[in-house]
Amino acid sequence: MCQNPNEPKINPSHFEGSTEEKQTAQEVDGGFAAYTQGMKFFDPHVHMTSRTTDDYQALADAGVVAIIEPAFWLGQPRTGLASFKDYFASLVGWERFRSSQFGIKHYCTIGLNSREANNEALAEEVMEILPLFLQKEGVVGVGEIGFDDQTPAEEKYYRAQLELAKEMGLPVQVHTPHRDKKKGTERSMAIALEHGLAPHMVVIDHNNEETVKSVLDQGFYAAFTIYPFTKMGNERMVEIVKQYGSERIMVNSAADWGISDPLAIPKTAALMKIKGISDADIQKVTYQNALDSFAQSGQINEKDFIDGLEIDQSLKFNGNTVLRGGQAPRVDKNSIFIR
Amino acid sequence: MNTAELLYQSIQSAASPTELAWIADKIKTDSKGLSLAFVMAPRQVAKTRVGNIPGWNWQNSTLDQLVRVYLLIQLAEKEDGKSRIETLFDTAEMNELVALYRALPVLPTPEIWLHRATDAVRSNMGPVFDAIAFGNPYPMQYFSELAWNQLVLKCIFNDKPIHLIEGLDERANQALANTLADFAHERWAAGRRVPSQVWRLIRNFQTDTKEQDLKRLAQSADPNDQKAAELVLQNSPLEAWKVLEKEETVY
Repeated sequence: MCQNPNEPKINPSHFEGSTEEKQTAQEVDGGFAAYTQGMKFFDPHVHMTSRTTDDYQALADAGVVAIIEPAFWLGQPRTGLASFKDYFASLVGWERFRSSQFGIKHYCTIGLNSREANNEALAEEVMEILPLFLQKEGVVGVGEIGFDDQTPAEEKYYRAQLELAKEMGLPVQVHTPHRDKKKGTERSMAIALEHGLAPHMVVIDHNNEETVKSVLDQGFYAAFTIYPFTKMGNERMVEIVKQYGSERIMVNSAADWGISDPLAIPKTAALMKIKGISDADIQKVTYQNALDSFAQSGQINEKDFIDGLEIDQSLKFNGNTVLRGGQAPRVDKNSIFIR
Repeated sequence: MNTAELLYQSIQSAASPTELAWIADKIKTDSKGLSLAFVMAPRQVAKTRVGNIPGWNWQNSTLDQLVRVYLLIQLAEKEDGKSRIETLFDTAEMNELVALYRALPVLPTPEIWLHRATDAVRSNMGPVFDAIAFGNPYPMQYFSELAWNQLVLKCIFNDKPIHLIEGLDERANQALANTLADFAHERWAAGRRVPSQVWRLIRNFQTDTKEQDLKRLAQSADPNDQKAAELVLQNSPLEAWKVLEKEETVY
């Protein structure tokens, strides 16, 4: 049986699990955490701006220690430069702080997304302010950029931003289109190479069974978004790792305002564990490869988060923290009392 | 020696030759170059701890932070310096905001930044609030009484240590004392308390409930509250309040 719910008959998944494996997966109940004890995760693509504090709490509980929030489309088009400016500023400001309150290190990538590249007058203005944000601390790349409808305007600003990335020595996080994905992915890679970007500086995102081989063969990083219905399911992901191994492959949740799951990475790790993938391979695709690729920005120091967030000495007073930075404000969600 | 020279002296003692060369190169640029240099400073200059600088009250600052302040002083002197700095505020991440607020008292014409300084008091980002509130002479020198009281009250509301505010006792006032008494009553009604040292702010003022409030404190099971009542009643000098400058359990 094909596990892709979209086109069950005409285009079956290439990587179906064996009957036995499917059986196992069906017998395991929802308690994924039992399989991920002691694991740490790095989600290189999650839009926390669109999520609640409950999600931060769940991420911290599940072992997610660091995240990258790419700049994206907010569900409707912005009408002026000021909204872009405030959005970018919130990614390096408020959202970063909010995350730190739950002990999770927050990085971001900054860029003009493909949809809004189609408003050329505004796109020009956004291009003007991008360098100011790309130079900031904790900005680990240009992203997410690339194609949506694959229009000439999208191509123009994709190219312009690749140049910015090259100039500043930053990795690029490339969004690949939902429609006409295979062609769009090939085109994105060809253009990146044409602009002289080294493939190891480019993370091609939202891959599937159809795109992964070419992405890896050309030396790019291949990211997979575990997202219900429209992108990858995690059972399919397990089969991909079985087939291609763990080199330059990473998973992310791309959780946003849609029906998505910020716990996609820990859940996928659990499923990999159940299905017999080695701990070393799990660690690579759920943590290390994301870290290695984006650390090429020079903006990620693993020491900052691997043993919990460092508390800045200047925030201390009389040996105790003023802010209690990094300490998660905990609420017992099962308690009837709200205090 | 002016502030810029003082800062540069400390920067020189902590920076490497490469870092110094980068700084020297950047201060020769125009206002746009200085703005970008402010933004990218942590990519070029390490976060080395710099010892305390006499006459400069940013404790435990790091080299990149000092360099940012130094660059801001240069930028403020340019013709379009003000609008450039406004843009830096508008686009700032957290560490940049901290550097901007720490720099306010040493910029030329600090008073033009009052609207920004009061914005920092509204910030929900801990380090940003702390940058204007603690060890920073700006609020004491430039805040109106209303803005000052808001700063102190927000500090107490968030259980932060008020004695780190510069000018705390000099700027205590009747309106603040009244508000604090009301605030303490609200907390008591909720079964909570305020840090004992808060009561130093009403010692020179009369409030409607002062007598009964002090009685309540004196009868409290908490030794810090008892101490606070004693200090107010005996009209103790300010130094005596030092014993209460500590972290307390607040709830």
